[in-house]
Amino acid sequence: MTTLIVIDQAPYGLWAGREALDMAFSLATFDQPVSLLFTGAGVNWLRKGQTPDAIEQKSVERNLSAAPVFGIEQLLADEASCQRYGLSPDELIDGANMARGSSGLLASYTNVIFSN
Amino acid sequence: MSENTHNSFTLVITGAPYTTQAPQTALAFARAAIAKGHTIDRIFLYGDGVHLASSLTTPPSDETHWPNAWASFLSANRVPGVACVASALRRGLVDENEQKRHELTSSNLLAPFEIAGLGEWVEGNIKSSKTLYFHGGH
Repeated sequence: MTTLIVIDQAPYGLWAGREALDMAFSLATFDQPVSLLFTGAGVNWLRKGQTPDAIEQKSVERNLSAAPVFGIEQLLADEASCQRYGLSPDELIDGANMARGSSGLLASYTNVIFSN
Repeated sequence: MSENTHNSFTLVITGAPYTTQAPQTALAFARAAIAKGHTIDRIFLYGDGVHLASSLTTPPSDETHWPNAWASFLSANRVPGVACVASALRRGLVDENEQKRHELTSSNLLAPFEIAGLGEWVEGNIKSSKTLYFHGGH
């Protein structure tokens, strides 16, 4: 069983993305292969240099930096969405890679879960 | 999944009752699946979906009481209903154990719902032939 969790909303506005992230960490804890795909406004999760202290939230960048350590296989950023939000590859956090988000990518996983 | 194959399902509900249609749609699916001879392995409430397990929900008398409707279904069919502990505590859904642990004034978990971790969801993913998501949002 391989799982891809898709996050398509910007960080900090809603809790659903954080809870989707917890699902990914939980699968990894139980040694289930899992990757994350960020698309649409969701690519902003992967932006370097986030400073959410002013809104009293924990940095999702810090959470995501720990993802490879916890066994999450890939952090993928949809390339077209990155262009739309002005994110170049060197502005992505370490460990994240550009991907062409396509039906082919989704079809390569047994389970695809969309964040609420 | 052909008509004659037996399937087992884990249902994940992330939409709250009276905010979204998710709990009702999930219940209609669960009833239909059992009527066709399939199995519901477990229900997992996540995010705002945990509000479905509140014993304090009090809708107007001419509206369906979705927590009670779900609780009856779970008891009648012996299906475990689990609310994610992290989602539940953040949103004020508490069983007696958590009440004691956090020294809270009361508890409000509706039987037969239980509170447990995301490991229950992971197990459902592995064991069930399908895991279905009932989201409230987009």
